[in-house]
Formats: sequence, C-alpha cells, structure tokens
Amino acid sequence: MTEPLLKVEGLNVSFTTYGRTRKVLNDVSFTVGAGERVALIGETGSGKSVTAKAIIGTLPKNAVVSSGSIAFAGREVLAMPRGEREALKGTAFSLIMQDPLASFNPVFKIGTHLDDVMRFADKREGKSFSKAERRNRIAAVLRRVQLADTERVMNAYPSELSGGMRQRVLIGLALLHQPKLLIADEPGTALDVTTQDEILNLINQLVVEEKMSLLMITHNLGVVRKVADRVVVMHHGDIVETGPCAEILKHPSQAYTKALLDAVPPLYGPRVLDLPASDKPPIVTIDGLNKIYGRRNGYHAVRDVNLVLKEGEVFGLAGESGSGKTSVARIIMGLSSATSGTISIDAPAPAKGRRLTQIVYQNPGTSLNPKRTVRQTLTLPLKAIGLDGAARLARMNELMDLVRLPQSYLSKYPHELSGGQKQRVAIARALAAEPKILILDEPTAALDVSVQKTVIELLLQLREELGLTYLMISHDLSLMRNFCSRIAIMLRGEIVEDGATTQVFANPTHPYTRALIAAIPVVTDEEERLKPSVSEEERTRFLVKTTD
Amino acid sequence: MAEIKMLDASDRGLSGGYMMWYRFSRNPSAVIGTLILLSVVILAVFAPFLTPFPKHVGAVVDFRARHLPPDWTHWFGTDKVGRDIFSRTVFGLRISLLLVIGVLGISVPVGAILGLIAGYFGGWSEKLISGLTNVMLAMPPLVMALAVSNLLEPNLMNAMIAITLLWWTWHARLIYAVSKSIASEDYIEAARLAGAGPIHILFREILPNCIPVLSVKTTLDAAFVILFGATLSFLGFGVKPPIPDLGSMVADGRQFMPDYWWEVLCPGAAVLYTTLGFNLLGDGLRDMFDVES
Repeated sequence: MTEPLLKVEGLNVSFTTYGRTRKVLNDVSFTVGAGERVALIGETGSGKSVTAKAIIGTLPKNAVVSSGSIAFAGREVLAMPRGEREALKGTAFSLIMQDPLASFNPVFKIGTHLDDVMRFADKREGKSFSKAERRNRIAAVLRRVQLADTERVMNAYPSELSGGMRQRVLIGLALLHQPKLLIADEPGTALDVTTQDEILNLINQLVVEEKMSLLMITHNLGVVRKVADRVVVMHHGDIVETGPCAEILKHPSQAYTKALLDAVPPLYGPRVLDLPASDKPPIVTIDGLNKIYGRRNGYHAVRDVNLVLKEGEVFGLAGESGSGKTSVARIIMGLSSATSGTISIDAPAPAKGRRLTQIVYQNPGTSLNPKRTVRQTLTLPLKAIGLDGAARLARMNELMDLVRLPQSYLSKYPHELSGGQKQRVAIARALAAEPKILILDEPTAALDVSVQKTVIELLLQLREELGLTYLMISHDLSLMRNFCSRIAIMLRGEIVEDGATTQVFANPTHPYTRALIAAIPVVTDEEERLKPSVSEEERTRFLVKTTD
Repeated sequence: MAEIKMLDASDRGLSGGYMMWYRFSRNPSAVIGTLILLSVVILAVFAPFLTPFPKHVGAVVDFRARHLPPDWTHWFGTDKVGRDIFSRTVFGLRISLLLVIGVLGISVPVGAILGLIAGYFGGWSEKLISGLTNVMLAMPPLVMALAVSNLLEPNLMNAMIAITLLWWTWHARLIYAVSKSIASEDYIEAARLAGAGPIHILFREILPNCIPVLSVKTTLDAAFVILFGATLSFLGFGVKPPIPDLGSMVADGRQFMPDYWWEVLCPGAAVLYTTLGFNLLGDGLRDMFDVES
C-alpha cells in the first residue's frame, strides 16, 4: 500500500483554561489517502475542529500538542520550522471555512481580496506575476466554482453576493494554489438547505476534477453520506469508530454511532413518526395577511397568507431564510402589526399578565440574559401573573420538573448550562404564565442532533400534558416531518403548499416543495431514492441563485 | 435524559467569581493598579495618623523652615512658608479622591440612566438625549469649567459641579450605544413578553450587561477627573488656600523652579501615581472583561 496523503497518529492535544488543563484529543489516529474523501463527524466538543486546527496549525495559544504525529505526504508537519509549515497552507492543504460572511472584509471587493491572497502566496513562493495575469488566474478559479460572470463577482463587495455565492468564492479561494488536501469545516451549514446541497455537489465535483483529497468536518450525518468515502466518528476527543461510509451508516458497531444515527429525524421509512391531526376547532384564523416593511415600495415580506391553526395541533411553517415565516409568527404574537388582513383568535381573553402566545427562540444562548440566574429568569413571568411567596416557589419547582431539570439548577447562570439545558429553561419561561399557543422559532437549530432529539421529545410530552398548540417555524423539513401534524411551505412571502404532513411529504405538488425535500441530506440510500424528483428547470425557477 | 456532555463542562462548573478572580490575579496591570489605589486610599483615609505634620494642612507659617530640601524629617521638603510638603500632598490626595467620588458619583448614574433611556426607548427620548450630549460634547471642557467656576465662587464644591456638568455626557453616550445594541437582543424581547415593565428591563435586564463597560470607563475617567481637578486648581479655580490641593501646590511651587524643584515635582508625582493607578486598573479591567474600548 502506498503512503497515505495525510497520516495522523496518536495525536494528543490539551487545553489550559483558568489554570486547569484538560485533554481535548485523546490518541487520535486516522489517515486520508490520495483522492480519498474522509469525514470527521461528531457533536459539539467532540474535538473534530480541534483536529483540523492541529493539522493546519492554527490551534489557539492555550492549546498544547502533547504527543503524536501529523505526516503530510510522508513529511512530519509538527516538526517543521514555522516558515515551512506556513508555506504548506494553501499549497498542500486549504481550508474552507464555515461562515462565508465573516471570512471576508466587508470593505474590500471580492477581486481585491482574492488578489491579495494570491499575491502573498506568490511572494512566499518567490514568484511574481503582473496584476493582469493574476486577474486572469482569479477569473479561471471563479469559473471553476461555477461563477460564470467573473467580472461582476470580482467587482462586487461581499454584501452584494448571496450566501451561496460567497461560499463559492471561499471555495475558489481555497483552490487558488491547487492544494492536495481540501479541509472543509461545516461548509454550507450557515446556508439554506437547497444552497447547501449545491455547495456539496460542487465540492464533490471539484474533488474529482482536481484530484484532491477531502477532509470534511461536519455534525450532519446526511452530509457525510453525500460527500465521504470513509467516516471517522469522534466523541469527547476519542475516535469511536472508523470505516467505509456505507458500512458505518448502515451497520454501526458502536453504541454511540447507533445513538447518533437514531437521533437523526428520518424523512421516509418505518422510523417516521406521524402525528395525528387535531379535530378540534380553529384557535387562530388568518385571512389575507400582508406585511410590507418600509413605506413606499417597501419590502413585501408576507403576501396574502391564509392560515388556520387548530387547537392542540403542531403546525409547521417551513421555508428558507427570507420566506416570511418569522414575520407571520411575529404578527400572530402581536409583536408587529399586519399591513392588511385579519387575524381572529377564538379563545377567551387571557387574564392580566398572561398571554395567549409565548415563544421559544432559536438560540438559547441569546434568549437568556447572561447576567440573570435561572431563578431570576423564571421569577419574571410568575411575578407578572401575581404569584408570590410560597406559591411562586411551588410553581417554579413545578416548571423545573416539567422541563426535567433538577431544582438545584435554579441558582445557575446560563453560562453554567449546556445548550440543551438552556433551551429547557427557555421553554420553562415560555410556559410559566400558561400560554395556549407556543411559537417555536427553530427551537433546535442551535443544538446538537442528540440534544435536539431530547428537546423534541420533551416538547411532544408537554403538548400532551398541557394541551398546548404549537406553531413551529423551521427550515428543517426532516425534523418537521416527524414533529408537525400539518405543514405549510412558504416561498418569498407566499404559502405555496399546505396540508397534512403525511400528504405533503408523500405527494408534494409544488416544485419548490419537491426541491426543498430533495435537498435535505438524508442518512440512508432508501430515503434518497424516495425523495421527489426535481427538474433542472424547476430548480432554476424557484431556488435562490447561487451562481450568477 | 442522556444529554451529550460537552467538553467545556469543566468551564461550566466554575463559578463566575472564580473565573473573575483567576483573570484578575493573572493580569499584572489590574493587580498593580489595585495595589497603587489601595495605598492611595489608605493614605488619604488615615492621613491625620500617617503624616508627620498634620497641622501643616492649615495656615501654619514657619519661615525658619522654608524651602527645605527633602530629608528624613521632611520627606518631600518644605514649601515657601515652611510647611511639610509630604503632609500636604497626602491631604491633597483626600481632595482628589473626594473630587472623583463627587463627580463620578453623580455623573455616572445620571449619564447611565439617560443613556439607558435613550438606548432602550428610542424615538424622541433618543433624539433629545443624544442631541443634548452632542451639544455638550461640542463645548471645550476646560473653557466650560472655567466659566462655571468663574460664575460661582471658586471652591471644591463648585469645581465638582463644573466638572460634573460636563462629565455625564461621556457616560450617557457610551451607555446609549451599548444599551441600544442590548435592547435588540432576544432576551429583552422575551422579558417583555414575560410581562416585564420598562423599569425592570432597564435596570435588571440591560444595566447588568452594561456593568463591564461602565466600570472600565468609570475607572479610566477617575484618572481624567483627577487631572482635570488639578488643572482647575492650578489655574486658581479650584480649592481655596490654605487647603492643600495637588494642583494648587504645583502652581505655588512653580515660581521657585528650578531651585526648589521638590515643591513642584512631589505633588506632581502624587498626581502621576494616582492617575497611573486608575489607568492601570482600567486597562486591567478592560482585559478582564474583554471589553472593546
């Protein structure tokens, strides 16, 4: 067997914070062969990103590589002098970063940015080219990432490009110097599903055409199936198991991998959960809702939306960013007013201090005040409904039991809690004043898939115990498939399709729905086969342009 | 609930107080600044017991001892009427600290409250308050302070009033900017939905998040206030003689430069020492809180 391109052996890395040292990588060993596509998969804190940083050499200052070796094409990287190691960046391996907006300086044009990178890399190699030559090379690279109108892209500022286009430019940036190994850190995670799908296709295509190897870092098992030949599963800094992609996804041998696969909401197949439709009367009826932001020629965010929310159901409002789903939810909550249309609520008016609706935000990190303890956070709504003394205390304990958190957590600050625990606190706060309707604004988008599973289970139990009605806003269709009893798909402010979830998924009529479902990364080949087909013409008609 | 334990769990187990102490103890400028300020405060508070000639604060005249250079009895030498400069300098620190407490004690709360109101409510309150601060900031501070203390009688109280009238604008502006960005956070909306009133939101939700910025700014400002106060009394608009003030002591000694250098240098060094303490602590706090200037 020939020498693998990248060989990581017995890598141990530890971090020191606040005078305490802890190991984040434990004897990590794996290889990436020439032309091979390997995925490092794991949840938050598994050490996958640290591994990538150790390879590239961008570990933070408080990290120490205590032992192990990283060999690139047979040469030991860790022993190299600094300059030599720097020279590997871009030429030997390149990194595609996660956030396409944060990677660009907003005051430079794309062309200037690319030109700078190219000029410095040339300088390092002791070559020099004229500006025109560099411009030609940049144009060639941009064409490689399917940005055909290179002139326009080069003269654009980062804010003038769509997220997908920026991600393409980032990939182009990584390709400037024909690297042998492409390291991709969660590419497209910050983008819509349909855009992410196209980005993954592009990476796949480029890896083959440029004869590169790929090291993909991701938390999404569906992405893994799409772009990897071999999978390395990481957990708590350890490698749990390694094997061919199909093998791991079909017959995982380790319990952790099994649990991880189990937590992924299925799109089709026997594991899919069907929620029964509610036969109760409607609680919210929306008729001809329009919302225009700005005065004259404003942005038409919501167009003629009609919607019925029945009591006790889980209604899903699906759509990509900018589709208007959040605007609809905010209008239902009374946080913003409709430009036209009516909302009729068929429920007794809530008592003083209480609200009919409450919301659980997407990111519990920003929806809990970092300077207030759980107790203080929960006291607020209880005080507003006039509870005090022993009654408040009893209700607070009851709420903590409801969201399955120990009562000792009441005195903790948000930074002492994990993401899932924080979201439970946010749910407890929303439930404190006994609302009838809970708006769930992508409640699990910021959480790991296994944590998502527990939070979703909790929400389903709560709905049964308390007889709540949920309005879930999300772009994650596979999650909605298993959580919502009815669903509506929004595109550019309009509802293009709605119906019972089972029906919409079994027989999507609108091409956009089909494109959306088809773009979801799934874990099994079976689900892939069952996805609806979308023609190229439909794709171009309804999806956001990511080329130009 | 088998929630996947995250790796930074060890961080989470740490209390906020421990993390603060850890950062503080590993931050040389915060530690040195604190030590300097501690020594200044102790000297100022216990001045009557720590100084060799506490009576020299008043109108004592001893012409036999005038212009004595520093020695073991008079550590900082004596001035033109034979008073011990060390004793007077230590008592001068009292005046400086009183000035800091007086000025910042009024201008920080006033500025912070106005800033919070402008940042959270927006609308006309925002226009009014930010307009007012802009006008105030456009005036040259020294001229403004001179005008105020000229209108009133020159004494410590009026110097304080003059400086306070200017100083609140800086805090108002800073807190306005910070609270405006905090006001758009999800947790503020969540608090409103939970039934919180504006008073609760301003002082319980937004203000605690402004404390890091506010404490850094206040500490750095203390140094400015001391310098500003010293400038005013140097120009004769501050504390009335014979009460010792660092600024007026420098002004008094100025005419005897360079022969009797200690009369300027020693009170000047005290100003330097104190402002250095505040500046070091302010810088240290900024690093500890990780606040962008």
